[in-house]
Amino acid sequence: MSERLSQQPQSSQPPVLQLQQLTRVHGSGATEVHALRGINLDVFPGELVAVMGPSGSGKSTLLTIAGGLDVPTSGRVIVENTDITTADRKTLAALRRRSIGYVFQDYNLIPALTAAENVALPRELDGVSARKARGEAVAALQEMELGHLADRFPDEMSGGQQQRVAIARALVGDRRLVLADEPTGALDSETGESVLALLRSRCDAGAAGILVTHEPRFAAWADRVVFLRDGAVVDQTVRSQADSLLSGQAAEL
Amino acid sequence: MPRSLQRWLPRTAYSVYILSMSIRHGLLALLEHGPRYGSQLRSEFESRTGATWPLNVGQVYTTLNRLERDGMVAQSGEDEAGHALYAITDTGRSELRSWFETPVDRSSPPRDELAIKLAMAVGAPGVDIRAVIQSQRHHTVNAMQDYTRLKAQALAAIESGGSQERDDVAWLLVLEQLIFQTEAEARWLDHCEVRLIRLAAAAGRETGTAAPPAPVTQAPAAAAGPRRPRPD
Amino acid sequence: MTWYHSWRAAIRIARRDAWRSKGRSFLVLAMIALPILGVSAADLTLRSAELSTEQSLQRSLGSADARLSDPGMGGVPIMQSPDGQSYNPVGNFDDKPWPEGSTDLAKALPTGAKTLADTTGSAKLRTTHGLLHTEIRELKASDPMAKGLMDVVSGRLPQKADEVAATTHFLESSGLKVGSKLTARGFDREYRIVGSYELPDALDTDQVNALPGSMLAPLDKALQAAGFSGTSPSTTILATVPGGFTWNVVKDINTKGVTVNSRAVSLDPPADSEVPLFQEEGWGKYEESAAAKAAALAAVGTVVGLAMLEICLLAGPAFAVGARRSRRQLGLVGANGGDRRHIRAIVLGGGLVIGVAAAVVGTVLGLVLTYLLQPVLESYMGKRFGHFDVRPLELFGIALLAVLTGLLAAIVPAITSSRQTVLASLTGRRGVRRSSRVLPVIGLIAVTLGAGIALYGSTMTDQVAVVAGGSALAELGVVALTPALVGLFGRIGRVLPLSPRLALRDAVRNRGRTAPAVAAVLAAVAGTVAVATYAASRDAQGEAEYQAQLPHGAVSVVINEGGGRDVPAVRDTVQKLLPVEVRADVDRVIVGKSSCSPYDSGDGCGRMEIVVPKANECPLWAWDPAHPDQDPSEKFSKAERRKLAEDWRCQEGNGGGVYTDGGLVIGDAKLLKVLGIDDPAAEKALAAGQLVSFDKRNVNAKGKVDIRLVTDTDAADQALEKGEEIPGEVKSFTAHQMPATAKSYGLPMLLAPSAAKSAGLTTAPLGAYYTTDTMPSTEQRQRLDGELDKTGTEVELHIEEGYTSESSIILLALTVFAGLITIGAAGIATGLAQADAEADLKTLAAVGAPPRVRRTLSGFQCGVVAAMGVVLGSAAGVLPAIGLRLTEKREQISWYQEALDEGWGGAGSMPYVPIVVPWATLAALLVAVPVGAALLAALVTRSRGALARREAT
Repeated sequence: MSERLSQQPQSSQPPVLQLQQLTRVHGSGATEVHALRGINLDVFPGELVAVMGPSGSGKSTLLTIAGGLDVPTSGRVIVENTDITTADRKTLAALRRRSIGYVFQDYNLIPALTAAENVALPRELDGVSARKARGEAVAALQEMELGHLADRFPDEMSGGQQQRVAIARALVGDRRLVLADEPTGALDSETGESVLALLRSRCDAGAAGILVTHEPRFAAWADRVVFLRDGAVVDQTVRSQADSLLSGQAAEL
Repeated sequence: MPRSLQRWLPRTAYSVYILSMSIRHGLLALLEHGPRYGSQLRSEFESRTGATWPLNVGQVYTTLNRLERDGMVAQSGEDEAGHALYAITDTGRSELRSWFETPVDRSSPPRDELAIKLAMAVGAPGVDIRAVIQSQRHHTVNAMQDYTRLKAQALAAIESGGSQERDDVAWLLVLEQLIFQTEAEARWLDHCEVRLIRLAAAAGRETGTAAPPAPVTQAPAAAAGPRRPRPD
Repeated sequence: MTWYHSWRAAIRIARRDAWRSKGRSFLVLAMIALPILGVSAADLTLRSAELSTEQSLQRSLGSADARLSDPGMGGVPIMQSPDGQSYNPVGNFDDKPWPEGSTDLAKALPTGAKTLADTTGSAKLRTTHGLLHTEIRELKASDPMAKGLMDVVSGRLPQKADEVAATTHFLESSGLKVGSKLTARGFDREYRIVGSYELPDALDTDQVNALPGSMLAPLDKALQAAGFSGTSPSTTILATVPGGFTWNVVKDINTKGVTVNSRAVSLDPPADSEVPLFQEEGWGKYEESAAAKAAALAAVGTVVGLAMLEICLLAGPAFAVGARRSRRQLGLVGANGGDRRHIRAIVLGGGLVIGVAAAVVGTVLGLVLTYLLQPVLESYMGKRFGHFDVRPLELFGIALLAVLTGLLAAIVPAITSSRQTVLASLTGRRGVRRSSRVLPVIGLIAVTLGAGIALYGSTMTDQVAVVAGGSALAELGVVALTPALVGLFGRIGRVLPLSPRLALRDAVRNRGRTAPAVAAVLAAVAGTVAVATYAASRDAQGEAEYQAQLPHGAVSVVINEGGGRDVPAVRDTVQKLLPVEVRADVDRVIVGKSSCSPYDSGDGCGRMEIVVPKANECPLWAWDPAHPDQDPSEKFSKAERRKLAEDWRCQEGNGGGVYTDGGLVIGDAKLLKVLGIDDPAAEKALAAGQLVSFDKRNVNAKGKVDIRLVTDTDAADQALEKGEEIPGEVKSFTAHQMPATAKSYGLPMLLAPSAAKSAGLTTAPLGAYYTTDTMPSTEQRQRLDGELDKTGTEVELHIEEGYTSESSIILLALTVFAGLITIGAAGIATGLAQADAEADLKTLAAVGAPPRVRRTLSGFQCGVVAAMGVVLGSAAGVLPAIGLRLTEKREQISWYQEALDEGWGGAGSMPYVPIVVPWATLAALLVAVPVGAALLAALVTRSRGALARREAT
């Protein structure tokens, strides 16, 4: 599968994230491990891409490199038309403040800050005044129907609430790329679903997301499921026209 | 419409399960709400189950006749349009209650074409079992994506508080049953793959000939010089 | 502005984190706030005690315009400093006698001046306990001019001649109350105390106030008549004059030989050019020089710096652990776009938050405590505050110190955490943290440089400062090297059993928290060991150089008082209260009036001196009247001087405890016994009315000792200057010369009482010497001291107990101090290690370790930190002390050689500068402290603890 994996015209807009011929080698010599072998992947606005694969297939490495937390051995990572593979530490940090949001499996929130303050954090770090950042954060929380959590501390929230607040933080300000690493891993099925529903709705509203998971049930929320094996993409599902299934048009298929 | 969906549904475990679905009890459950006539029962059944289980009217009337024979339903006159109405009897009610209370029998697992296919593929010459598994997985996950999208719509409908709420909830439950069934299959496929790879590797070591299963991927692309990882 | 917003976010996180881990935060806060409290309280106290010019004028002048005093220059014109404290007579007195005598203050007053006399004398007043030497001040204190001099506390001021008021301090120490009767010794008049007052500038003065003329003069008369010393009153005059005492008025009064402390001049001091005194040649204003100020500042700076370093070292681990525990959080900040400076800001923010809190708490508590304790502080300082003086700028500076300390303590953890990659922080991988290589390199350089300087100092120069500076530098270097040194300890872990091995590995792997704690212990212990070694060596030297005043266990009592009236009673008191075996009474020779005290050069008092034969004078010191400016020793070459230093004539007698005014004591053979001299020939000589001499220089060729009784001391001085024969009657006594081996404890000669009588010498009782059968106990001493106090005379009591080390208490205090610091630092590190080790302990419990493992582990963790600190500290402390001692040795030997070369004589023997390692202190620090710390930690750790608890998120 050497052809570009996302040729389908999901959107007329340019991709938010482009991974080009990405490789990552850990260690060297005898202990050399090829975590990624030539990954190509584009993620468009409004698209949620799930990455699946057995442990050690390189899912998490892909995510950390996409977010600039790790650097590829070769290949390019382009976020919002900026090549971040050659960016320095400061630029990367600024990029994480402005373009990329992370959601991890658990303990996503800083225990010392309230939900609103957690959401406001990237903005405040970026130098936005505390009041303005808080306003944006509360607005973001309200938009996701989490407004009532604004002044709660993380230890006063359930796991699902924490994850949803983390998603709000990942998309606060101008950020429109969410990188979620097993965001439902520590949650029960129903709660996990609500978190994914939120992620789904944010993507429907225009954000781009990558979801790393090993649960097919959660991967099924994505528009596209990419299967990784031994650091390479082996297959991917395309977005089907299921929307039209019930409208009868598909009968002609 | 149901037909079209049925065409989309992959032939997997749950389609086998459909056959064992008790139409009898489904009809009894609908009659709980009051007397119905045959085609009315059919459309209500389909709307409850999201047209996942298609029925024809003949099937409905055959079943109603059998239920009447067993004393579980009784004819109770006609409506204005002259349709013969059926009503549930006390015997029917107790039968329905005991059906709800009895777990679904899992002692005789349904035969599954996929399981048989995989079992046959092991050791068959010229067959890449991983490719078989992956293509099945692709199919399965794709189906799950479809179900999930339908589910998302159902969830949205419920939250918007539509008039057919009860039907929507029932539809949601059916969808989720399908999703979990599909997921089980996907997991089973994952497990099969790992198990088969390990067996193949062990066999390769024993004979010393067979290469470990080659990854179904292209070689690492550009042989660009390794870049020193930069600490963040 | 953007940095400001991101800092705000960082500080918010830090603040909430500090609140979440209250225990740790409080610990650090207390460590920083306590010294700040002390410093701010000290600043407030000193500033409040500092008076404005107006305030101090009120206390010294009342509401008068000036105080005129008699400088005792016989009325010759003088020049004074503006404050009247310094003065000189006008003219050159190099070859004239210095003017002396009193003058009449009243004559110096400008016309139209209103005056108030303020006369002060002193006498012994009877108290409930005995006699108390008290100031008697005759001043009409109710006069408006005296307002502000004395503050009435209770009762009223005296209004009649038989009324007095007394200071509160006098009432306290006398046991008398307002309303009590007051009498003076040797005076039959009775006074009534009608009130109490205090002198705002001298709260601890024993003073009574009487109306002018009502007490001092009659008392003086009565005392003189009874043979006591008089009240020696002196008068100053408070005056007001229209227009005040301007500088010109003051200068005018100066021409009449009177000094003036003028309000007008103090408030508006003249320029230095207008002060004739300052124009005098060689006039140095006795002010602190800039260099001395700089030295004092440097000393204060060093102490403050070291204290801050110590606090930083103690607080550092807390921040290190805080940063480490919030690694995941810092990783999240990184994942959300925080770059290194944000991470640093969060950890530094922790230091800032606690520093600010400590600053606020410290200064506020300092303010409150100083305010509440004002009376206590005032009585401690003996001075009322002018007003409660709060200097916001100074307090702010002190508070800033706290903030700085907090920031400094957090700086290393901040840098370490910011170096972590976001990924490592998020995944929470544990591992040996690569500590910075810069610090050890700096440390190594500092150690090498410091040791080099110290070595150079101790071998090439005799500058103690060089050695001390070099050692300090090296010590700081060792502190910086601590992380590397801690790493070395890890190597010995392999051979240890489980608990200590775990503890050691844990300590070595987590250098972030271990190293500062070890460094804190190291610094404290090194300082202690250095001082202890130095002090022990000094002790050894002191013991070797100690010269007994008397034979061991002997007691002497001497009263330097005119007439010696109290002597017999005191002699009996001592004999009664101490286990006395032999009592030897001694008398002295009086020339002139019987009330003359020793060294008294007053009217009618002469002196006695021994006529040393010319031939027996040391040529190095034999002053030639023909060449008054010539140093006699300059006549000799270096070699000759060295030789003369060995000459018997130049041997200075070793001092001792025996009183020798004029070199002669009158006593009998019992004194010889007390001094431990068993010589029948001497006893016989005394019995025969002869003189026993211990210094053969005094004995002339005829075997006699001549004693000159000088009645007119002025004439004698003039004769001496001119090199003429000194006028005075010479008495001659046959001398029995004791062999040079006889140890006389400083007694040059002893005259038999019978000889003194027959020679017609006037004598007075002086005191007594005793031998005791057992060393007087502390209780006996205290009782004796109490009894002697009651006599109201100055009794010089000496009980020979041999050499007592003065530094032992210091050594003990230092050891305790170092021990406390060690236990504190090790305790902090242990607490932090325990918190860190929770996961390990769970694993241990899961594999079946008994609950006590938690205890033993915590004990060993504490012990390991303490042990590493004391081992390194002891090594680092002994060496500079040795260096210091070597320098001292060189210094003293060079002095000795110089003294020999210059012929100063009395150089004694070669200086003995031993180096003694204080093994007891070292053992206590090396063994007892770590073991104690370990046991303590084990004791306070619960065995169960969190083992059963589930991990909280």
